[in-house]
Amino acid sequence: MVEVRLEPRGKEITFTKLNTVLQLLNKLELRHTDVLVIRDGELLTQDCRIEKDDKIIVRNVMSVG
Amino acid sequence: MKCKVCKKKAVVSLPSHNAAFCPECYDKFYMKQVSEGIRKRKLLERDDKILVALSGGKDSLSLMYALAELGYNVTGLHIDLGIPNSSEKARSVIEDFCSEHGFKLIVSEMEKEGLPMPLVKKHIRRPICSVCGKVKRHYFNKVALEHDFTALATGHNLDDEVARLFANTLRWDQSYLSDQGPLLPAENGFAKKVKPLFRLTEFENANFAFLKGIPYHHLPCPYSGGASFTGHKMLWRDLEFKSPGTKRAFYEGFLDRGAPAFAAFHEKKGVEVVPCTECGCPTSAGVCGVCRIKSQLNEALEEEK
Repeated sequence: MVEVRLEPRGKEITFTKLNTVLQLLNKLELRHTDVLVIRDGELLTQDCRIEKDDKIIVRNVMSVG
Repeated sequence: MKCKVCKKKAVVSLPSHNAAFCPECYDKFYMKQVSEGIRKRKLLERDDKILVALSGGKDSLSLMYALAELGYNVTGLHIDLGIPNSSEKARSVIEDFCSEHGFKLIVSEMEKEGLPMPLVKKHIRRPICSVCGKVKRHYFNKVALEHDFTALATGHNLDDEVARLFANTLRWDQSYLSDQGPLLPAENGFAKKVKPLFRLTEFENANFAFLKGIPYHHLPCPYSGGASFTGHKMLWRDLEFKSPGTKRAFYEGFLDRGAPAFAAFHEKKGVEVVPCTECGCPTSAGVCGVCRIKSQLNEALEEEK
């Protein structure tokens, strides 16, 4: 199970299986320059593989005021 | 994905530059964007004494960090707006950041100035973002002049600039288009204003802040719901996705080919700027906008008693 935390809202989503960051972004309907994708304190590019039991942070970068 | 420069594992990929970078090469790329922007548009002199407006977000903190890295003399300025559950968090982030890096910091508290935003929002019948922006710009300039800073730097990024240019273009607002750009020279009681991050997007600034270990305040302002700029940014997000680099081409094209025409128009029209009769700050009316807001607020509070 892959756990994904969406920031800044703090919403948490789980996925049974994900192959890559790009697949995650597609499922979240995000483009890769919308967010930072972080795993274990490191940034991931869209081609990075996602392993089962990964904990991922998806942090929106757009300022809204 | 591999770093375009050194072929190590990349951590940031930028379609607009058709490149990906490892942390070390991204740092060089980012700093070059800042320094080249400053050099090409003649934003700063080496001996400028710079006041950096700090909101606590990724852009302003990255700007302060980058300018200091480039060897500029920088001091932070934070406007504490007095918004519950928001202002204290932003201020704490900034105080920690400045303390950690040894940066000087000036804090201007709107509560003490008689302009806390919750009261302004309650009593002034105008869009709060517009009033808040006016108040912040007023104090940025006031503090810069009172403390003899030679430049005021803000963390406006390429997305901010494109959204603003787009909004001004939709209205063909000649007055605003005449002075939009990363440099506003000092004149008529206004300090020189610069936007050294005008070549960098929010995504690029967020990556820099993350890689430099700069904790930033990333919760939205509780009063900012429905701001029109957010809608414009979303439109540009789609355009940029379809044609990477469009944002930058649009903005730099305007600076090179559009801005000079609008600036010439503005020179012809000319607006007289005089000191505010209440506070002495520059204004095109007798009493400046902020003094008028203060006065309206005081009247509303008196009526409430």
